[in-house]
Amino acid sequence: MNLLFDPVGVSHYLVVGAILFTTGLVCMVVKRNALGVLMGIELVLNGANVNFVAFGSPVLRGEQASILGLDGQLIALFVILLAAAEAAVALAITLNFYNNYSTVDVDRADDLKG
Amino acid sequence: MEVQSDLGATLATLLGLAWLIPLGSFAAILFFGPKMGPHGRNAAWVATSAIGASFALSLIALGTWMVSHPPAAVEHASAQHQSAQPDDHSPWSPPRDGGSVSATFARFAADASAGESHAAGESRHGHSAHATGGDAPTKPAYSGDWYSLYSSPTLVLSIGWYIDSLTVLLFVMVTFIATCTHVYAVGYMQNELHDITDHEVTLASGGHLHRPGRYPRFFQGLSLFCFSMLGIVIAGNLAMVFVFWELVGICSWFLIGFSFERTSASTAANKAFIVNRVGDVGLLIGLMALWGSLGTLHFGNTVTVHADGQQVVRPGLFSLVRPGEHGHALQVPDGMVVAAASDRVASIAAGNSAEEAAAEVAAEVPEWRAMGMGSWLLVVAGLGIFCGCMGKSAQVPLHVWLPDAMEGPTPVSALVHSATMVAAGVYLTGRCSPLFTPDVLMVIAYVGAITLLLAATIALVCTDIKRVLAYSTVSQLGYMMLALGVGGWVAGLFHLVTHAFFKSLLFLCSGSVIHACHTNDMRRMGGLLKKMPYTGWTMLVGCLAIIGAGVPFVIGFSGSYSKDSILAQALVFQRINPSHAVLWYAAAGGTALTAFSMFRLWFMTFVGEPRDEHVAEHVHESPAVMTVPLVVLSVMAVIAGWSLGPLGVATLLEQARPLGTADGLTGGGLLTAAVTVPAEAASHAEDIHFLVTVTAFATAAAGVLLAAAFYAWRLVNPAAIAALLRPAHTFLEHGWYFDEICDWMFVKPTYGIAALASANDRRIIDPIVHFFAWASRQLAAGDAWMDRVVVDGLVNVLASATWATGLRLRAIQTGHLRQYVMFIVVGTVAIFLLASIMFGTMVAGP
Amino acid sequence: MSSSVASLLPVLAAAEGGLNWQGFLFLLFAVLACSLAVAVVVADNVVRMSFYLVLSLGSTAGLFFLAGAEFVGAMQLMIYVGGTLVLLVFGVMLTAQEPFVAIKTPVRDKLLAGLVGGALLAVLLQAAVSGPAWSGSTAEGGNAVASSSGQPSATPLGMALLGVRVDGDVASGEQSPADGQVRSGYLLPFEIVSVHLLVVLVGAAYLARSKRRKSSGGQGGGASTGGMR
Repeated sequence: MNLLFDPVGVSHYLVVGAILFTTGLVCMVVKRNALGVLMGIELVLNGANVNFVAFGSPVLRGEQASILGLDGQLIALFVILLAAAEAAVALAITLNFYNNYSTVDVDRADDLKG
Repeated sequence: MEVQSDLGATLATLLGLAWLIPLGSFAAILFFGPKMGPHGRNAAWVATSAIGASFALSLIALGTWMVSHPPAAVEHASAQHQSAQPDDHSPWSPPRDGGSVSATFARFAADASAGESHAAGESRHGHSAHATGGDAPTKPAYSGDWYSLYSSPTLVLSIGWYIDSLTVLLFVMVTFIATCTHVYAVGYMQNELHDITDHEVTLASGGHLHRPGRYPRFFQGLSLFCFSMLGIVIAGNLAMVFVFWELVGICSWFLIGFSFERTSASTAANKAFIVNRVGDVGLLIGLMALWGSLGTLHFGNTVTVHADGQQVVRPGLFSLVRPGEHGHALQVPDGMVVAAASDRVASIAAGNSAEEAAAEVAAEVPEWRAMGMGSWLLVVAGLGIFCGCMGKSAQVPLHVWLPDAMEGPTPVSALVHSATMVAAGVYLTGRCSPLFTPDVLMVIAYVGAITLLLAATIALVCTDIKRVLAYSTVSQLGYMMLALGVGGWVAGLFHLVTHAFFKSLLFLCSGSVIHACHTNDMRRMGGLLKKMPYTGWTMLVGCLAIIGAGVPFVIGFSGSYSKDSILAQALVFQRINPSHAVLWYAAAGGTALTAFSMFRLWFMTFVGEPRDEHVAEHVHESPAVMTVPLVVLSVMAVIAGWSLGPLGVATLLEQARPLGTADGLTGGGLLTAAVTVPAEAASHAEDIHFLVTVTAFATAAAGVLLAAAFYAWRLVNPAAIAALLRPAHTFLEHGWYFDEICDWMFVKPTYGIAALASANDRRIIDPIVHFFAWASRQLAAGDAWMDRVVVDGLVNVLASATWATGLRLRAIQTGHLRQYVMFIVVGTVAIFLLASIMFGTMVAGP
Repeated sequence: MSSSVASLLPVLAAAEGGLNWQGFLFLLFAVLACSLAVAVVVADNVVRMSFYLVLSLGSTAGLFFLAGAEFVGAMQLMIYVGGTLVLLVFGVMLTAQEPFVAIKTPVRDKLLAGLVGGALLAVLLQAAVSGPAWSGSTAEGGNAVASSSGQPSATPLGMALLGVRVDGDVASGEQSPADGQVRSGYLLPFEIVSVHLLVVLVGAAYLARSKRRKSSGGQGGGASTGGMR
C-alpha cells in the first residue's frame, strides 16, 4: 500500500477517477429514475475528466514530463462542454418521454424490446 | 458493224420486254386481281393485253430480224466443202464418203458474205455475235448478259439472252398462240366469274362442292406460264434455262390443278410435277457434267472488255464443243478430256511446277482425246439434257403425265400441249443439239420413234376427246424428237412450230365442243357439225393439218411440209444406216395411225347422228370470243408451212442452224454401233422428196379412209372389231399399261419402303425416343426430389436455424436501459480480463 | 498535531515534517467527491441525489485546482455546477411528482450492480496503481500553486487554443516550435464545439417544448371528432 505513503501523484487522481467512474456506472445501473441515470452519466464523465486533468497536470508529473500536457486540460474542457450539451439533450429526451408516458421510469421505456 | 451491234441490242430489248410484260401482268393480277372489276373480270383483259403486247413486240423483232438477215432460199446445189478437216483422232466427223448424202448444204452464213460484219466485238453493249470472223462459217446470233448474279473463273450465273432466228420465231409462235388462247379463255372461263358448284366433287356431307370462281387466278397462272416459257426461249445460258424450266413445271402444276378440289385434278397436277422432276434430275446431271468439266453454262461466247481495252472472249458451250478452228466439227472439249484424265493430270502436276504442268497437259490433250477420253462425259451431258427434255416433252417412258394433264381447263391444255410446256423440251433438244454425239442422237431418235408409235396406237382407242388429242400430241412430239435424232434439225423444229398452231387449234376446238356438250366422252357426241359450224370446220382444218394433208407436190396444209421433211430425213437416214430402218417405218406408219385417230375423232364428234339426244339438244355454237381465235388459228394452221420465196419458217430456221450440224455426223458409238447421221441437205434430194411425198400422202389417205369406213360410212362396226381384237384393244385402252407398270415398279415399292420406314419409326425409333423421354422424366423427378428435399432442406434448415437463433437472442434485447449498461460494464471488465490473460499486463505503462 | 496527523496518514507527511497541505486538501476533496458520489447512488430521493451530485462535482473542481488546472476547475464549477446541474434540477422539478421522486429498485438489481461495479472498480484500481511512473510527485512537494511558474493557467490554455504551446511538444520536450511553425491549435475545434453546443441547445429546446396542450388538444379533438372527420 505504498499509495498511502507516496506523495500525491497521478495514481491518486486515477484512483479517484476510477471510483467516480464506477460510481457513475453503478448509478446508471441502479437508478430507475431517468434523471438518476443522467446523474450517473455526469459522474462517469466527471471521472474521466479527473483522469484527463491528472495526466495533463504540470504539478503532478514528478520527474517525467506529463503525458498529455495542456492537451489534457483542453480535452477536459471539451468533455465539460460535451457533458453540458448531453445534459441538455438528455433532459429534453427525458421530458419528452415524460410527456408521452407520464413517467420517468426507464424500465417502462422498453419499446425496443426484442 | 455498228448496225449489227445495234441490232443485237434492239432485239434483246424488244424480246426482253416481250418476255417481262407477262410477268408484270402476273404481278398485277396477283396483287390486285380480285379488285379488277366484278369478280376480277378485267384481269382477263390485263393478261390478254399483256400477252398481246408481247406478241406485237415479238412481231417487230421478227420484222427487224428479217430486214437485217433476209433468209436465203434453200439451195440444193452442193457447195464446196469449206470446213476444215477435223483431226483424224476425233471419234466423230462429218461423213466424207461422197455420194448424194455428202452434198453439203450451202450454209446460210457462208454465202451471206457477212463474215466480217459478224465479227465479235460489240463489247460496248456487252454482247457479241456468235462468230469469230474470217473465213469460218458463221451464224447470226447474239448473246449477252443483262445482269450477272455471280461471277467466278469457273462459273458465271447471269440473266442473259441468246437470240437467233429460232428464238425470234419461237417468241412469235408462243406469244401468238398464247394470245389466241387468252382471248379464247376469256369466253371459256366465263363460268368462273360467279360461284361454282362442282358436281364432280362430292363432299363428305354428300353435297357438292360450292366454291367462289377463280377467274383472275386463272389468268394470273397463264401470265406466269407465258413468262416462264419465254424465259426458257430467251435464256442465254443453261442455268437460266433450268430456272425457267422449273417455273414452267410449277405453272403447269398450278394450272393443271386449277380445280384442285377434284381428286383427279390434284392427282394429275402432282403427277405432272413429279414425272417432270424425274426428267429434271437428268437435266441437272447433264448441267453438272457440263459445268464441272467446262466451267460455263453459256450458250454463246462472252466478251468482256477490261479497263485497258483488251477483249477477253470466254467461249460458250457451242464454241467449246464445236470449235471454229476445227470447222465446227464435234470434238470432246479440252475441259472434258482433262476431267476424264484427272489421274494423269495429277501425276503430271505432281512432278512439275504449275506452268510446266499446264503446258504439258495442254500438249497431251490431243493425244488423250484421240484415246477417246472424256467422250463419255459428253455423252452423259447429252443424255442428261435429253432426259430433262423427255420429261417436259412427254417422251416414253415419261409421257404418262401428259394425258392426265387434260384435267386442266382446255385453254391450259392448248397452251401446254402446243406452245409452252411440251415445246420447251423440243426447243431445248434443238438448242443443245450441237452438243449431242451420235450415240445421244440415236437414243433421241429411238425414244422419239417409240413414243410416236406408242402414243399413236393408244390414240386409236381413246374415247375421251381430249385424251385423243393428248396422245396425238405425244405422238407428234415423238416425230419431232425422231427428226432431231436423225439429223433433221430444221425438220424437227419446223414441225414444232406448225404443230403448235394446229394442235392449239384442235384443243381449242375440243374445248368448244366440251363447252357445248358438257362432256368429254366422244361416244355421247355426234352430228355436231350443223349446230357448231365454226368449231366443226376449223377442227377439220386442224385435223387435215395434223395428218399432213395436201395436194402432193403442189400445196398443202402446214403439217404436210414439216412432216414430209421429217419423213425425208428418216428416209435418208434409213438409206445410209440400213440397220436402223425401223425408224423410217415407224415414222411412215405413224402417219397412218395419226390420220386414223384424228379423223376417228372428227367423224365421231361432228358427223352422223347424235348418239345422245340429251347432250345434243343443249348444243350451241360458242360465242365469238371463242370462235374468232379458232378461225385465226385455222388460218395459221394452213399457211404456217408455206414459203413466200425465201420467206418461210423453214428458211428462218435454217438461219438458226447450229454451226457444224449441217454436215451431218458420223462416228463410233459408245452405246450403239457406228452410225452416220446424214446432213439435212441430203433430204432435199429430188428422189427422196418424191418418195416421201407419195408415201406420206398414201398412208394419210389410208388412215382417213379407214376412219371414214369405220365411223362415217359405218361400213364396219368398230365395236365388232374391238371385240375381235379384245386383248389388243384392252392393252391400248390402258395405254400400254404404263400407269400400271409405273404403279407396280415405283409407286408400290415406294409405298412398301414408306411402310417399312413407318414401321421402323413406330417400332424402333419411337420406343427409343419414348425411352429417352421416360428416362428424362425419371431423371427430372429425381432432380426435383433433390431440389425439394436436399437443396430446399438445406436452405430451410439454415433459415430455421437463423430464425431460432434470432428468437433466442431476442431475449437479450429486453429494452431495459439499465440492463444494457450492465452489459457494457460486464463487457468492459471482460475485455480487461482477456487483455490481461493474453498480454500479461493490465495497462501499457511507460 | 501535525505529526500525529502525519503518523496517522503518511501521505500527509511532508519532508520537513510539517503538515503537507497539498496532500491534505487532495485527501479532503477526494474523500468528499467519492463519498458524495456514493451518496448519489445510495440515495433514493431524486432531489437529494441532485444535491449530492452538486457537491461531488464541486469537490472534483477542487481536485482540479489542486492539480494545477485552475481554468478547468473554474469551468467545472461554472458549467457543471452552475449550468448543467441547474438543468438537472429543472428536470427534477418538472418531473418530480409524488410517485416518481423515489422509485424503488429491486434489491436483486442493486446486488448485481454492486457486484459488477466492484469488479470494474477492482480492475480500474489495479490499473491505476500498477503504473509506477504515475505514482511520482513534484520534486519540491511545496505549494502547488506557487510551483506553477507564477502565471495563471488560463494564459497557456488560450495560447494553446491559438496554436502556441508554452509547455512544449510532449514528445520532444521543446519549449516552443523551433522552426517557427504555428500549430493549428484547438481554435477551430473550439469554434465547432461552440456551434455544436448552440445546435444542441436549440434541438433540446425543440425536443423539450411543451406539447401537452397541443397533444392533449389533439388527442381530445381526435377522440371527440375523429368519427366526424
